[in-house]
Amino acid sequence: MVEVDGIENLEFKWGKKRGTGGINTKVQFYESFTYDGIDYTLYDNVYLHKEGEPLPYLGKLIKIWETDSRLKKVKVLWFFQPSEISNYLFVELAHPNEVFLASGEGVGLANINPLEAIAGKCNVVCISKDGRNPQPSDEDIQMADYVFYRTFDVGQRIILDKIDGKIAGIDVKFIFNQSGSLKPCSIHNFSVDEPASENAIETNGRVVVSKLNSSENQISKDDRQVEQKPVVAENGFNHKAEENSDVKASSVKPNLSLQQEVVAGVVSESGELAKTNDRSGDRTGLSPKIKANADSKLKNPSGAEIGCVNQVKSEEKLKSVKDTVELDERPHKKAKLDNSVKVSSDKETTKCATEPCGTATIPSKKLKIDDKLKKSTNCKSPAVPSNDGIKTGDKAMEVTRRPDSDRSKWFGELPWEESLRDAHEFGKLVLFQNLDPAYSSAEVEDIVWNAFNETCRAKVVQQTAYSSPHFGQAFAIFKSREVAEDVIKKLDERCLLLPNRRPLVASIPNPCFSRKQSMFAGHLIVDKLKSQREMKEAVSTSHSSQPNTVEYDMAMEWFLMTERSNQFWKKLYEQQGKELKKLRVNFKSK
Amino acid sequence: MESGKQNEYAAFEEKVRRTVYLDNLSPNVTESVVRTALDQYGTVKSVEFIPNYLEPRNMPQCALVEMEKEKQAKVVISTLSEFPFMMSGMPRPVRARAALAEMFGDRPRKPGRQIRIRWLDTADPDFKVASKLKQLVKRHATETAVMLKHQLEKEEKLAKQQGETLKANYKKYEMIDSLMADGAARRLARCYNLRVSDDSGPSTFH
Repeated sequence: MVEVDGIENLEFKWGKKRGTGGINTKVQFYESFTYDGIDYTLYDNVYLHKEGEPLPYLGKLIKIWETDSRLKKVKVLWFFQPSEISNYLFVELAHPNEVFLASGEGVGLANINPLEAIAGKCNVVCISKDGRNPQPSDEDIQMADYVFYRTFDVGQRIILDKIDGKIAGIDVKFIFNQSGSLKPCSIHNFSVDEPASENAIETNGRVVVSKLNSSENQISKDDRQVEQKPVVAENGFNHKAEENSDVKASSVKPNLSLQQEVVAGVVSESGELAKTNDRSGDRTGLSPKIKANADSKLKNPSGAEIGCVNQVKSEEKLKSVKDTVELDERPHKKAKLDNSVKVSSDKETTKCATEPCGTATIPSKKLKIDDKLKKSTNCKSPAVPSNDGIKTGDKAMEVTRRPDSDRSKWFGELPWEESLRDAHEFGKLVLFQNLDPAYSSAEVEDIVWNAFNETCRAKVVQQTAYSSPHFGQAFAIFKSREVAEDVIKKLDERCLLLPNRRPLVASIPNPCFSRKQSMFAGHLIVDKLKSQREMKEAVSTSHSSQPNTVEYDMAMEWFLMTERSNQFWKKLYEQQGKELKKLRVNFKSK
Repeated sequence: MESGKQNEYAAFEEKVRRTVYLDNLSPNVTESVVRTALDQYGTVKSVEFIPNYLEPRNMPQCALVEMEKEKQAKVVISTLSEFPFMMSGMPRPVRARAALAEMFGDRPRKPGRQIRIRWLDTADPDFKVASKLKQLVKRHATETAVMLKHQLEKEEKLAKQQGETLKANYKKYEMIDSLMADGAARRLARCYNLRVSDDSGPSTFH
């Protein structure tokens, strides 16, 4: 399908080997390679160039090998651009950059191409709502060159809404967004490229911790951030961590000691254990080695961040980890598990409360702990979140559940609108902007709790057709005017960075409450007919217009206007999106 | 626990798919109006008007209408975008779109999402960019507000224009009516030797 004329002498290097061809042992399969300065890995999406074709082809690498005559080959599973299958495309595009993955059997599914035909990497994000697909964030989708969630069956020539078990013999999990490079041997990379991966993770430390919890959103996003860097290990461990996060905590123990040198300065993060442990669902005892690796890796970044924790302290803490681990080593009955987690996290918090350097990371430990747990942690060490987010400098913290988040259910509350009116009157109301539009009200409350150590009652502003897709807003009612003003001041003078490089913006809103209005632009009444029965009926009955009436013509004018306004809203938000993107690129920390 | 939340969120997502977002609704539209209007396309399970605290007061109402089945929601959306549909007044049609999760004020937490936040001091290398971003966000909010105002003005203009047209039309009809009624039309027709066929009544012309 793709010809290559005149291969220039571009830089090329094979990466990891996979295995040799079954019968023909001279065929060597590979997992990755570097070509023209770009690292490619199996299941990467790439552009392929064909001479004379204006548009590059789009495909996914599903096999990489070298033949016995030293020819480099790749097998490519194709994506179709809408224009390529316009004859069979009877559905609307869900996204302006939607493409369709080839599926089924027949011509056009996949082809073998010379490796040199690859023209570059392409960022294709899978937006399938399938539970197995790590969900991309809005940012991911915005950054993506293309998105897909449907397939084009090349045999039947129809668009399919579902991605089935296997396509071209490739398991569906390689087709969805990768929560890692998903290489079976990538764990070994930890020891192999230790320094490299460590560095990479260090720069990324802020984000890493959250990955253990297989929060799909985060993972896929983070991966993509990392993608450009040569950090196979990172990707690999993500995946591993995700897959293995159900591993018994006890299995970690024997390896922890082995990892001592690596783990130094790192262990203050041991709450991680509690965290992983907390996924008390179905525990499968997976290889402890993997787990230990993942854990130690996980902790490194935070260790690097903490930095100032010295060796002695960290060793002391190492002990504490062991302790906690030992606690976890009780019989692994599910009922007991919660219990042990609780103990360990309590221990952690009390220990670390005296540890000013370490405190910055403490909130992260509680994130995954379930409600029951939280209460106990909270009553034992009420001072913990009050390490005063404000003072922790540029250290990242993970937003944890506000300890009393359930209290709202204990007492009845005033209806929201009444509270809002009250709060506005007394100056206790704050409007937050630039939130992720997907956040729920409870999450906003949690952010406030973690950032300011203040409780508030928050409610997200419901979006409408005209709302900006780039940011969400929320009202928050604080306990006093002073607190509300303080929050605004702090957010003004400093910056609170939310995920996806969103600095939170706060202001005093001026909401309007009186909703009574009788005038409505667009509904006409002929005065003289007002009293007539027909007119009354026409108005009060909902109906579709008939095409032979004045009403219909006028309705069309409204349609036209709406369509026009849709266009300019779209333009506006596209423009704003571009401006945001341009500015966000300037962030130094990733 | 975790799976319970997963289920809760899945149920919410399913509800979103069954829900139609309606806007350009007159302030006179009430829940019962919506229910009666959309009953023909399926069972309306609930109607929630989206409160408008921040936008101009004369913004048309928006509502989330939860249907019983996803298919019914699709039918409502496709019908209402194909044919102008009037609710509590004419001739401005209501608009229907698929609802989005962000439109629901009570949306549950998405399971598994973690939020990491970070304070940036003035000394932080990213402080400047972040501050600029804050400015940009504020500017964008203003732009949105201006755009909205502009749109409302345009809508009012169109409404006024249509009002004039309608009035003029109505005047014409009235004139024709009165001419027919007092026999002037027939007299003139006879004068110019024209046939006037009047469908509305028995012709006395011949």
